[in-house]
Amino acid sequence: MRAGVIAAYVLLAEWTRALFSSAPHAAAPVLVLGGVALAMTAIGWGPARMGLGTSHMALRIVGGCALAVVLLLPAATRAGAAPLLPLWLALPAVVVSIGEEIAFRGALYGALEDLGGAPLAVLGSTALWTAAHALSHPPEFLLAVAAAGLLLAIWRWACNDLVAPIIGHVFADLAL
Amino acid sequence: MTRAALLAAAVITYVSVAWAVAPGFYDGFAPQQPYNWVCPPFHVAGNLAPSSGHLDIKVIGGVSDANSAFTDDGQVVVGFLPGAFDVSGKTSIAVDIKPVDPCPKPAGLTFVTNAYLITADAPLVKPANLVLRYSDVVPAPSTVYYAADAAGPWTSIGAGSEAQPFTINTRTSKFGYFAAGYPAGRVSSGGIRGQILPIAVALLIVGVLLAGIPLAILRRRQAAPPDDEGPGEPEP
Repeated sequence: MRAGVIAAYVLLAEWTRALFSSAPHAAAPVLVLGGVALAMTAIGWGPARMGLGTSHMALRIVGGCALAVVLLLPAATRAGAAPLLPLWLALPAVVVSIGEEIAFRGALYGALEDLGGAPLAVLGSTALWTAAHALSHPPEFLLAVAAAGLLLAIWRWACNDLVAPIIGHVFADLAL
Repeated sequence: MTRAALLAAAVITYVSVAWAVAPGFYDGFAPQQPYNWVCPPFHVAGNLAPSSGHLDIKVIGGVSDANSAFTDDGQVVVGFLPGAFDVSGKTSIAVDIKPVDPCPKPAGLTFVTNAYLITADAPLVKPANLVLRYSDVVPAPSTVYYAADAAGPWTSIGAGSEAQPFTINTRTSKFGYFAAGYPAGRVSSGGIRGQILPIAVALLIVGVLLAGIPLAILRRRQAAPPDDEGPGEPEP
């Protein structure tokens, strides 16, 4: 029940954000509101349960930088072949990326893990993450979106950590 | 070991899949419709030809109506205020937008959009608002260029604040050739990287190695303390 409600809520938040962010002058406020709406899924979850514990923080931060390297590698090795995020979207990008990690690899992952264990949590959160980006990405990009979601979800499972996915996602969104 | 192997497999999968589509994963802050190029960049596959646009603007009571001309693929939009045209003796104004083929390649400039020829059968008396969409697989342009002839000379007519992601807008009081771009040899001012991204990623790699190796060695030397978060403690 809880997993279904969270899944429906994050899909609704993401699709609403995608639909309204193309309105003139609406992109930044819509992104910030969307990110905050996603982050609200953290309500009722303890930090440790979300993977937001404070132990081994240095390793988590280094891991986040490593994830950022992996996420940005295809773009970085093809200079000039990547979109450039306009500067005025930097803060909204940070808010959205944190919100998405909290929603998908935090709350949704946790709810799915309670429901069916780690395999359901990894695959389910990846599937919903991909579906959530269906309106904001052309179809040919969705496989890359799914692969990124899978990578971040496997990290979440393997390291019981959400700090590194947040850091990696923020770096990736700031660059692209 | 299984976790590390799965992580490694996920990394390889991501890099392989993301390599197939430029630029790889991005978070889609704007609905990204593939750009239709006259002369596509080398890394763009499956390009479609860009569209033209046509608009007939009514003249009501001796004043041209407010309206917008656009290409069918939405890559160019030109907005006209009421009374934007000198309508002497006309009952309607025809506006045409056509992508320019072959692509102009002026020395000293880099165009990141198609060049478009925008014409009308009456001159402007009020500036029109011009919006050009640009691709998400090229550096952002810093300005819009204008030329009376495709061969040039091309001059910058500036750019306004960005109303939507991946668009650049400006105002023009004359028709002719338009394209968005930036001076060749400079990093585009429209984004936070360009040449910066490869350097930033290289610095991140160095940082991960410099910090990660000592941390990993230190962690192996220490007796692992009881984890406060369950079985899967961070093992980057």
